[in-house]
Amino acid sequence: MRRNLLWILGCALWLATLRPSGAAQPGPRVAPSAQALLRVADRARGGSDEGVRWTIQLKVEDDGETQTRSYLVRARGTDALVEALSPPRNKGEIYLFNDQNLWFIKPGLQKPISLSTRQRLTGDAANGDIANTNYARDYEATLSGEESVDGEPCYRLELKARTKSVTYDKIRYWISKARELGVKAEFRTISDQVFKVATFQYTNKIQTATGGHEFVSKMEIRDPQKPRARTILEFGDPHVERLADSIFNINNVAR
Amino acid sequence: MTSTWTIALRNLARNRRRTLTSGLALAVGVAGISLLGGYVARVELFLRTSAIYLQNTGHIVVYKAGGLEHASSRPRKFNLSASELAAVRSTLSALPEVELAVDYLSGVGLLGNGCKSVPFLGVGVDPKLHARVLQHPEVVRVTPDLARPVQGKILAEYASIEGAVALSSGLARRLSKSRVHDQLPPGRTAGALPDCKAASADQFAADANVQLVALTYDGSLSAQDGEIVSTIKTPLSAADETTLVTSLSRLQQLFDTDTATYVAVFLKPSANIHAARDSVEARLRGAGLQVSVYAFDDERINPYYAGNMAMLRSIFTFFSVLVACVVALSVVNAMTLNVIERTRELGTFRALGFTRRDLLGLFVRESVLLAGAASIAGVLVARLCASLINGAELRFQPPGVTDPYQIVIATPPALSAMTCAALLCLCALSTWSAVRRSVRTGIHRLLSHAAA
Repeated sequence: MRRNLLWILGCALWLATLRPSGAAQPGPRVAPSAQALLRVADRARGGSDEGVRWTIQLKVEDDGETQTRSYLVRARGTDALVEALSPPRNKGEIYLFNDQNLWFIKPGLQKPISLSTRQRLTGDAANGDIANTNYARDYEATLSGEESVDGEPCYRLELKARTKSVTYDKIRYWISKARELGVKAEFRTISDQVFKVATFQYTNKIQTATGGHEFVSKMEIRDPQKPRARTILEFGDPHVERLADSIFNINNVAR
Repeated sequence: MTSTWTIALRNLARNRRRTLTSGLALAVGVAGISLLGGYVARVELFLRTSAIYLQNTGHIVVYKAGGLEHASSRPRKFNLSASELAAVRSTLSALPEVELAVDYLSGVGLLGNGCKSVPFLGVGVDPKLHARVLQHPEVVRVTPDLARPVQGKILAEYASIEGAVALSSGLARRLSKSRVHDQLPPGRTAGALPDCKAASADQFAADANVQLVALTYDGSLSAQDGEIVSTIKTPLSAADETTLVTSLSRLQQLFDTDTATYVAVFLKPSANIHAARDSVEARLRGAGLQVSVYAFDDERINPYYAGNMAMLRSIFTFFSVLVACVVALSVVNAMTLNVIERTRELGTFRALGFTRRDLLGLFVRESVLLAGAASIAGVLVARLCASLINGAELRFQPPGVTDPYQIVIATPPALSAMTCAALLCLCALSTWSAVRRSVRTGIHRLLSHAAA
């Protein structure tokens, strides 16, 4: 009797886990939420609640001249600490991103300087381009269509800044359908003029608590008005790191 | 000859009321033109002094060819290099009309107080040369208020302070920096980092320390500490919230360069500015320098000066023409009435042997005497009004100017003399045109003309 009861209970539980037969059939494909797409894409560009550390080699090619700089980035959530490694003249300079505020700290300077993420860092890169990306937090996204970028099917998203303190007013962003990574971005003015175009590559891998995923390896920025110029950010050695709150505190960093 | 002038004077006295009315009209015209001309002359002097000495352009500005248009966006290519600056200075030192040549570097950046940053337009200049410009006799005479710092002293007084900067009042206000170096206790250092969310204006005013940040010409971010030693007035309100003046070497360090944007050339008072411009350009180009040279009144250099002077000159011309028309009509009217009343008298003069030319001369003399007396009265009235207006110290704020400035009306003798001479000519011409037909009439017709 007792064995029968257990058997019946087991069958009942098994039946409860079964979905109705119709649900198992492939139905009409539902477009994913634009914000959900952004959240996933951000993760591969440093936008994560876990502490992440990576390096950036920034190359500016303009009119036959090339300048190179490098940075060490430590980011977590909405904060990022970016330290200049080279050239020697700039070594030790720090960019501290606290939420949407940006501080520049230079050794020997009596006080930190508040900067805008929109200001040009060097070449066509803005200050905000070297930090972790939090498009899902900073922009209102709408899915405006589907297009291929270099033969890869993508969702096309229109991003509109939620506040004036973010790096760009408007972005048209293409996210790969298969990889769920941002592969191209058009940065637009408030009047919808394209002033920079960026493409992204993801050959880096990063292991996080939830598993491994791809991480941005290259961002190439071009200004349509300057065909002979390009700015390349090469991202290297990304890995998860435990980061203390104190390293993102302006009072600690500026001392 | 003397008797003709006497007759003319007596004729004027015959109809005193009409003479007085016509004379008053002429005197008011002369006074009006003198006052307006005096005001325009004074404004021109103010704007010129302000443009040349306080907006750092000098009488003549030397840029690298294309520098005026492109130096702000591509300074590395369009600034004057150290060797070019030396060559410019060497060439200019040989020109007798040049009093002083000053290198200026300008550039944009951000100025921070520890919590917020605002944009600045920086001017780098050798403090000693800057002091010579600010203490130039012309500046002391015409715009002493604008040249004097609002707080602190001029930059040259702080040679021992590293990073001494002078900020326009508006820029200092935007950063809540209400006190300058001299107003703070000696020996103090920059305060602790302010709590930006709760910081009060007093906290920012506790020190005079600011941070300058800018992109160097090769694209690196560069930053320096600065110490506010003075706040200054800028001639134009557009610059009041952005102007920063510091030493040339300090600004060069910030932009990591040894170049300058332009050289301002200050001429001796006797020099002809446009002739000197041509001469300077020819000499510099002859020395193999690819430069562009501009006079201070070029609208590309001083659009405010050029625009305002064009407008004021138009207004002055319009009113002068208006007054001239009124004067001419008034004279023609008076003389026509005079001729009609005195037709039989003219016939008598002709019968006594006076020629037509004598009669015409008589009327012209009457007119000239009237105009002369009215001119003297008009100039005296203008001087009286000018001294009353100047004494009342009336102030007004023209659009685009930082501070209201006192209305001062100059009545330069040359302008008065020109106005009087123009009035005499106008009256003589108007009389000649009104009388010449009447004096051509035959004697019998003049004598038989019925009295008015």
